Amino acid sequence: MDSVFELKDVVFAYNQTAEPILNGFSLEIERGVRTSILGCNGAGKTTFFNTLTGVNKPQSGEVLFNGNPVEYTKKGLMDLRSNVAVVLQNPDEQIFCSLVEEDIAFGPLNIGLDREEVERRVDRALKDVRLIGLNRRPLQQLSGGQRKRVAIAGALAMQPDILIMDEPTAGLDPQAAVEVMELAEKMSLKGVTVLISTHDIDLAYKWAETTNVFRNGAVAFRGNGDEFYSDIDNVYSCGLLAPSIFTMNKDVSAIKGMDPKPYPHNMCEITAKFGGSKRSGKIYMVPAEAENAVSKYEEVVKDAKDSTVGIYGSEVRFELQDKDIEFMFEGLDYCFTQAVKGKDTILIYDSIYAPTIQRQIDRLKEFGFDADTEVVG
Amino acid sequence: MSNAVLEADNVFHSYSRKGPKVLNGMCIDVPKGKKTALLGCNGAGKSTLFSVLNALYKPEDGKVLYNDKPLTYKHKDIIRMRTDVSILFQNPNDMIFKPYVEQDVAFGPENLKLPKEEVESRVAEALFTVGMEKYRKFPIMKLSYGQRKRVTLAGVLAMRPSVLIMDEPTAGLDPQMAYEVMEIAEQLNASGVTVIMSSHDTDLTYSWADEIRVLHGGQCMYSGLPEPFYSDHRKVQTAGLIRPSVFMMNKALSDLGRCDLEPYPKTQTQLSVKISDCRDRDFGTLNILMAETDTDIAKALEDNGLTDVTTGIYGLNARIAADATGFKPKFRYNGPENCTMKCLSGEDAVLICDSRMVDLAKSSAEFINSNGYGKIDIRSV
Amino acid sequence: MSEQMEMDELAYSSRMVNWAPLGKLIFVMAMLIIGLLADSLVVPLITFAIGFALMAYSTNLKIPLILALAIGEAILIMIIGSGMISIMGDHSQPALWEAQFLWFDIHMTEQSFNNAWQIFVRAVAGVTLMLSFACSTPIPHLAHAFRSLHCPNEITELVVLIYRYAFLLLERFLVMLDAAQCRLGYNGSMTAMRSYGGAMAGTFIFSMELAEKSEAALACRNYQGYFPIYHPPKSMSIMWVVVSVGLAVALYFVGKYTEGWINMAEIMAPLFGW
Repeated sequence: MDSVFELKDVVFAYNQTAEPILNGFSLEIERGVRTSILGCNGAGKTTFFNTLTGVNKPQSGEVLFNGNPVEYTKKGLMDLRSNVAVVLQNPDEQIFCSLVEEDIAFGPLNIGLDREEVERRVDRALKDVRLIGLNRRPLQQLSGGQRKRVAIAGALAMQPDILIMDEPTAGLDPQAAVEVMELAEKMSLKGVTVLISTHDIDLAYKWAETTNVFRNGAVAFRGNGDEFYSDIDNVYSCGLLAPSIFTMNKDVSAIKGMDPKPYPHNMCEITAKFGGSKRSGKIYMVPAEAENAVSKYEEVVKDAKDSTVGIYGSEVRFELQDKDIEFMFEGLDYCFTQAVKGKDTILIYDSIYAPTIQRQIDRLKEFGFDADTEVVG
Repeated sequence: MSNAVLEADNVFHSYSRKGPKVLNGMCIDVPKGKKTALLGCNGAGKSTLFSVLNALYKPEDGKVLYNDKPLTYKHKDIIRMRTDVSILFQNPNDMIFKPYVEQDVAFGPENLKLPKEEVESRVAEALFTVGMEKYRKFPIMKLSYGQRKRVTLAGVLAMRPSVLIMDEPTAGLDPQMAYEVMEIAEQLNASGVTVIMSSHDTDLTYSWADEIRVLHGGQCMYSGLPEPFYSDHRKVQTAGLIRPSVFMMNKALSDLGRCDLEPYPKTQTQLSVKISDCRDRDFGTLNILMAETDTDIAKALEDNGLTDVTTGIYGLNARIAADATGFKPKFRYNGPENCTMKCLSGEDAVLICDSRMVDLAKSSAEFINSNGYGKIDIRSV
Repeated sequence: MSEQMEMDELAYSSRMVNWAPLGKLIFVMAMLIIGLLADSLVVPLITFAIGFALMAYSTNLKIPLILALAIGEAILIMIIGSGMISIMGDHSQPALWEAQFLWFDIHMTEQSFNNAWQIFVRAVAGVTLMLSFACSTPIPHLAHAFRSLHCPNEITELVVLIYRYAFLLLERFLVMLDAAQCRLGYNGSMTAMRSYGGAMAGTFIFSMELAEKSEAALACRNYQGYFPIYHPPKSMSIMWVVVSVGLAVALYFVGKYTEGWINMAEIMAPLFGW
């Protein structure tokens, strides 16, 4: 198995006399896998992240990065940290400069990249988080959500192989939270290994492929979320609750005498599972870029007047923000739900997300639902 | 005589002379004795509104009415109002003024200049309510974020407010802690306190709130029951919100013809029931065991012949009783919902419940019974 | 809070933000010193005019209220100060005005009157010059400038961090005061004192926590011991020194030449009937 990080029996305490925070901690992070880290306050998540970035040097045990032990020298750490970027829960803790672009350039300048490369990365990162036009704005003028995006841009500008996000949606509006998760998805599609720690179990359940649960500085569970949540006593003892979709599937399956498997992870899947056997509505799939989003939208709406429209991806959304679109956010889930209901829909998305959408089509097949899709334009 | 305990009437406010109006003709009321959720995206004016309602800021224009009387902003009036209306700030660290738990909880009552014994008894009661009495002499710095949140909640409760304002009460808390805070809010409301809370989390507030108020651009754009608001996707989008998943799923399933749109299910249990369509099945019995703090739960279960039945727990007194005797219920969280679900699948369940919270505990089962989705026997023991 | 923010915004939007910070500093210091050295009233008037012109250019002729207020405040304080100086004249000289007021023995002479004016104009000129510098130079630029003077990294880094966190800490302190108010923290003066104390302790603890977290965050972002600047202002050319020194020398001679030209006591004489 190809792992980016491997921790073996790591013990870490802040000082010699203190109780160790990580106590015999072993965990593997697989390359390219969407990984969630769960656990109650004080389970050791922050300490774990600090160990990955080499801020905490374990008292004993091994930390392997790309198969090699981490060297705690200036060069070794620089090498590690150029590849691992962190977005903290509170953006104020990681923003050090007064202007937006100064802060985004902070990391790349620190690793001594040349000027043009830094400029290229800053522009790219600004575009990814949609902060273009605010580059010379002082940070104290920005709202909390905008500051969060600056922090994320600062991490993206490092072009990391591993992106660690600590509570990425905390304190954000629901809409901003959706956009951040789309961004995480985009990074994942670009081959970045994304690690998210969160208290939002519903969100983690929807998103993650591998679930890691920490308890008292050790790994209490590693693997598939469905398996973890099936043992409710264990869930409680880890300070967690089961996600609502999971509980609902379990309950309804029990009442109806159905197999809880396959486990639905979002609304279209649960609707497909319990909704019945109607034929699929047609989904017109419109991959678009920022430049042609509006023209494509107008064209496709002309052809299919009665269909509801959904959006996935922040670039397209930004271009179409003035249009009357029913599913401006979470369009992917809603459009497929509409299809399950037998209604025609249009899904406009940033073309980079094609694999994400294909994944959803494949997932729905497991529930015996064959989505009728047609790529337009 | 309206039933609003607090009301803002056409209020304007901005932070600097030339700055944008954070409150821009805000008209809003907080209905007495209810659970109200204040929704809106960042910058919609939620926190500012709370500050104005608590007379921290005097609005540039417009009136704030407390119990139908306009606030005069005289020192005495403000003090009187603030003894009744308390705010729980989002970040507990903002509210900690003393190094030790009991000192900090006593901060408010001491400022009220109450006699020492009264302060003592209030502190004890408040710490008890939030389940922190064991930490009375603890230094606050050694507590976790979630525990600090409870201490500050105790600090607010020690003022014995009749109106409790909570700013994003579950932000940053882990799921169990968040659930407990919400349960405490339920408990307070059941004992007659008006609760208003701001939140981004439409899922959470949908099942909790009686009514919602939606802020946008410094104005109240919607006021009333949640369903009509969520039915209008344009309004929801302008407000910067996302529709709750229970609401959306109900809509999806009713469109499919699996169930009627109304009555709107509020919780996932109620939704599950609607989907399952299990009218003709056998149901289990929902036993409700009313617990006081000194109830010996294991013995009470035995007396009623319920030893082997699945147990859930709900409410403060029940939890205290369970802790005291070391009793471990199966469902420590979401007790009423989980127990109701058990009954639906044909098994019996016991809900060990604080006697003050019985009505709430029954609500999901009663939703099922009264809407004809099934018939669950509810037995109080 | 808002004042600090406004100054920061002003600095970043200044038309002189990309001028060499060190150059600006040398120029302003040269003007300040020569204004103080010269005995003539003309020199501080000229430096005042220079400062005012710079400020006007920097803010694009829209001098905001906050700067006007700052200068106004300085003038007010200086009027009081100079007033005191002017009435404490040397008793061996003839008095322009003599009186007994409470326990003050007022003895205003021509020299003390002129002295007071001199100090007043110098002070106002100084404040204006410093403000013209402050409203065009963000603190991080200044730190950058110091670093190019081989100032130790530890110091410049501290300046940048303190500057950044001053906003956050103040924000925090104000929220805590609000929270205290909600819990009746101002019900009587003793309580108010306690609330302030609590809020200060809270802010202090917060600053410790913030420092700890920032240290880790800095490391994660590959911090190498100094804060790089993405769009650095121009570095100082020799021209700045030449211009500054040249102008200072020129003003020095202007001062010598014009000494005693303006005698405020004479100008004011008709007003007071001296």
